[in-house]
Amino acid sequence: MRDRGTFGARLDRKATPFLFIAPFFAVFAVFGAFPMLYTVWVSLHDWDLLAGDRGGFGFGNYVQLFGDPRFYNALGNTISIFLLAAIPELFVALCIAALLNHRLRGSTWWQTGVLLPNVVSVAAVGLVFAQLYGRDFGVVNEVLGWFGVSPVSWQAHRWSSHLAVASMVMWRWTGYNALIYLAAMQAVPQELYETAALDGASRWRTFWSVTVPGIRPAIAFTVVAGTVNGLQLFAEPQLFDAGGGGTGGNDRQFQTLAMYLYEKGITKFDAGYAAALSWVLFLVCVLFAVFNYRLLRRLVRSS
Amino acid sequence: MRKLTSRPVAAAIAAALLLLSSACGDSTATGGKVTLTVATFGEFGYQPLFEQYEKDHPGIEIKSRVTDFDTHFKSLSTQLAAGRGAADIVAVEEQQLPKYQQVQDKFVNLAEYGANELKNQWVPWKWAQGTKDGYVLGLGTDMGSLAMCYRRDLFQQAGLPTDRKAVAALMPTWQAYADLAGRFAAEQPKVKFADSAGSVYTAMLNQSPENYFSAKDDSYVADRNPSVRNAFYLAGGLAERGQTAAVTTYTQAWNVAIKQGSFATIACPAWMLTQIKEAGGTDVGGKWDVTTVPGNSGNQGGSFLTVPKQSEHPKEAYDLARWLTAPEQEKKLFLNAGILPSEPSVYEDPQVIAHTDGYFSNAPTGQLYAASANQLRPNYRGLHDADVRPEFGKALGRIEEGSENVDQAWADAVQMGREAIK
Repeated sequence: MRDRGTFGARLDRKATPFLFIAPFFAVFAVFGAFPMLYTVWVSLHDWDLLAGDRGGFGFGNYVQLFGDPRFYNALGNTISIFLLAAIPELFVALCIAALLNHRLRGSTWWQTGVLLPNVVSVAAVGLVFAQLYGRDFGVVNEVLGWFGVSPVSWQAHRWSSHLAVASMVMWRWTGYNALIYLAAMQAVPQELYETAALDGASRWRTFWSVTVPGIRPAIAFTVVAGTVNGLQLFAEPQLFDAGGGGTGGNDRQFQTLAMYLYEKGITKFDAGYAAALSWVLFLVCVLFAVFNYRLLRRLVRSS
Repeated sequence: MRKLTSRPVAAAIAAALLLLSSACGDSTATGGKVTLTVATFGEFGYQPLFEQYEKDHPGIEIKSRVTDFDTHFKSLSTQLAAGRGAADIVAVEEQQLPKYQQVQDKFVNLAEYGANELKNQWVPWKWAQGTKDGYVLGLGTDMGSLAMCYRRDLFQQAGLPTDRKAVAALMPTWQAYADLAGRFAAEQPKVKFADSAGSVYTAMLNQSPENYFSAKDDSYVADRNPSVRNAFYLAGGLAERGQTAAVTTYTQAWNVAIKQGSFATIACPAWMLTQIKEAGGTDVGGKWDVTTVPGNSGNQGGSFLTVPKQSEHPKEAYDLARWLTAPEQEKKLFLNAGILPSEPSVYEDPQVIAHTDGYFSNAPTGQLYAASANQLRPNYRGLHDADVRPEFGKALGRIEEGSENVDQAWADAVQMGREAIK
């Protein structure tokens, strides 16, 4: 009896913590790990979304993918939109955070306010922006017209569609990033600012030499998270392409990788190709996240 | 603390079980009633019929699931792939049908429930479209016989006749239509003649018995079929001369263009009248009219009701689908919602032929569409039609955007169409 009791207690002590965290891992295994591994399996076959496995085990999908000009087109578009959106977005977020970090009247109101665009459903954002950028009756063209600019067909050109989609991304994510920066800024030790003030540093100098290095982990987080989000960009350009069937314009001028994946997998039923594409997209995300993180570390350290 | 967690193992297991059991659960049969879900896109006009059917069949409850065209077919594909989630009755449009016929074992063969007895109800080609090698995939609903919608007021301002017969006489062929576009543009430079090159092209192509694929062996003939080339060059020419409003059908921009009167004509299948009404609202009511389309007829669209195999109540679903597509109901749908039946006994019905539409200047829509339906030559689509078609549409879009001329766009479209088949 006594032995069984201690054995039970020992087992209890060892196993209980794992059992408590087990639900998460169970859910992750079912909805995270299994689909991922299954995607590997699918990507190695000629797989039709409806008909299923049609044989042909091998790297055929990957070989085809790396020779597919539409893949490189989508990759280029994705990176272009990502850069157009992310760089201004992070700088503007930094400025907003710096402003909010000063004692403002009604600061809670402002802090909530900057997050609002992020709370609004992306579908609504997409519909509204698509109308703002309308060619014939859009507000943006109307305003440009006041300055003598002739109407722009925003969806029709590569540069204009990238700018328009990037503006949607910025609208959604700037406030969110600003709040993360703000939280980090409020944790920067006050003594550092006092020392800087004693040394006679200007506010500009203090910002770049004390605040920015002080929130480096937050910047690193937003850069990595922003990279992953940006490279998987889907909803905004998809909604911007009204009636285009998800090809990102008549010349695929703003089709992102995720949109191409969707076109292949869901519209054309080529699940094997789409699965291969999703794995390549994953690798691209990892590469970019690591690269950006390193770049950032170097930049902030040197300043 | 120790006391509280004396049986943690059991507690954790219980929690995990609870989590799992709450995740699984089904509820199709509520209180002895059979619930049938009907998934449609756009406007089928079924709501009043559902209410009547529920009243006549107390054991049946009908849930309607209406989404837009793209969402409808994307969901259907994922639901078929996942093996669950599809409605009991799913509407499939004629251009999408060949794609699903390739995986027809995912759908109930309606012949098993006696659909073959109904065969003569439909125009023969409609029945044939929904059937492949004896496998009855769907029961025909409406059809999209073509007419031409035009703005009387804009025609008048351009100094053109406004009378239906006179307008039809001005454009017996598509070439005449294109010539008329030139006359119109000279008088009315601010308004475009057609909504988009794509819709002119589609209407023309739908009058041809073969499109991108040969009816004989399903081989790709887009580059050799003169109908495809003629339609592309005629529509592309309109686009190049800036005579189209360059708005994609059913988009927000298209709705606004109708409301603002940005274009004067559109080839309109029967089901499009409702969409023009909804987009135009009261502002343009009475300004539109309908007449015969160049080339007299043609079919564009029209759907079928199918029953996915995953349905738990295929028999009940079939009964409802049969009832919804029966002549009596199809007649009601036309008179109430303007949905053109694919059954001769209905579209030749005197009440249907006498039907006029107040929104379209009292145009005799019943007579116009019935006449078009009678002259209709069905066309062969081919298994990969839905893959190839968008490439030609996008090529015409590039002409409208000014990034390609007609020759470049044609060469690209033929090439990309071939690649799309894989």
